[in-house]
Amino acid sequence: MQILTEVAYNRHNFKIIKIIRVLNEDMMEKAGTGKKTYSAVWLSILLLCIFPFMGCKGGIKSYTRPSVQIETIRKVAVLPVENYTTEKFAHDKIRGIVIMELLSRGVDVIEPGEVMNTLRELRINRIDSLPLSDIQRLGEALNADALVTGSVGTYEIKRGMTVTYPEVSVHLMLLDSATGDIVWSVWHTTGGPDFWTRHFGAENATLEETSKKVVKEAIDTLF
Amino acid sequence: MSLMRRFLMVIMVFVMMAVAGCRSPQPTYHIRSDIDFSFYKRVAVMPLKNLSNDQSAGEIVRDVVMSELLASGLADVVVAGEVDGAIEKLGILSPTALSREQIKRMGDIMNVQALIIGSVDQYGTARTGQVSSPEVTITLLMADTDTGDIIWSITTTRGGASFMSSHFGTRSETMSETVLTVVREAIQTLAEY
Repeated sequence: MQILTEVAYNRHNFKIIKIIRVLNEDMMEKAGTGKKTYSAVWLSILLLCIFPFMGCKGGIKSYTRPSVQIETIRKVAVLPVENYTTEKFAHDKIRGIVIMELLSRGVDVIEPGEVMNTLRELRINRIDSLPLSDIQRLGEALNADALVTGSVGTYEIKRGMTVTYPEVSVHLMLLDSATGDIVWSVWHTTGGPDFWTRHFGAENATLEETSKKVVKEAIDTLF
Repeated sequence: MSLMRRFLMVIMVFVMMAVAGCRSPQPTYHIRSDIDFSFYKRVAVMPLKNLSNDQSAGEIVRDVVMSELLASGLADVVVAGEVDGAIEKLGILSPTALSREQIKRMGDIMNVQALIIGSVDQYGTARTGQVSSPEVTITLLMADTDTGDIIWSITTTRGGASFMSSHFGTRSETMSETVLTVVREAIQTLAEY
């Protein structure tokens, strides 16, 4: 290693030593043999690594009522999910995934057919806006600790100019069947064209895979 | 010029290009300075007026507003069914244009301290040349149910492809992500207050 210095005096007449360069002998050697191109290669690799991550979104934000112990909720009923998309059966598909996810985490889920029968028996038509009285009646009739309700905001393969990609967004809520309070709430989305798909034609996730991912990540915030 | 200096210059130009043209889409908002927001423990989100061409934009944005309000920990939110029930009970035809008296009565019925009212002004895809990108604009207001006064209002917008996305093909936002960001930005102004 070679240290090059320069002695100088500042305006208060203090002696200062400027370190001009600290050079490694190997570096000096390389600099003289045309290996500077390595730097360019490294820089390109660095930029290539940075680009795919640029534009990555922030994390998922959810709400869990502080006064409620989620572990005490053992039996839930998953109500039909509201569909705001143009895909005819998006809500049924998402509901199915929610049920599977809850079951896989050891939560007792009431059979969907029984839920539908009870809704008919109680003459509850509007699932998207259940008043407190209906929440309590449903909870009592189904003997469920909580009700899962929600909506699908987006469920489609978006077609851009040069790329197609899946996009799914869901809103899920857990309602306490005794008080009607929102115990847990999450709005989550996933999908979108990433760097690799846009530029290298990498295979995108399917709509089904994207749906499973969005529901799994949403329920991860609860159990 | 040494190779390293050339690299530095390229990086500098690159950063300047990326920053040039930044619009800084700061939301326009108003907060009543004489109000203590810790008082508002329980709020209701009214159905939002949909001024966009997307039929479900109002419901989608309403869900995000409810979820983000809860997630921010600012206030407890009443279930949508209770709100719709109260609207029906009072025979309100236009939930986005409430009179002072209606605001107070809604507050009494639902036992909430404030109502969130608003509209989805823009919800769609904007095309600029070969690039298409989501564009969302929302307006939210918070009305005190004791007095009927507007204590917070905000208009926020987001859209257009970013420099990095349109020129270098980095990951671009989806419509859902744009909605989430717009709502989060709006609620952040309350949280920061």
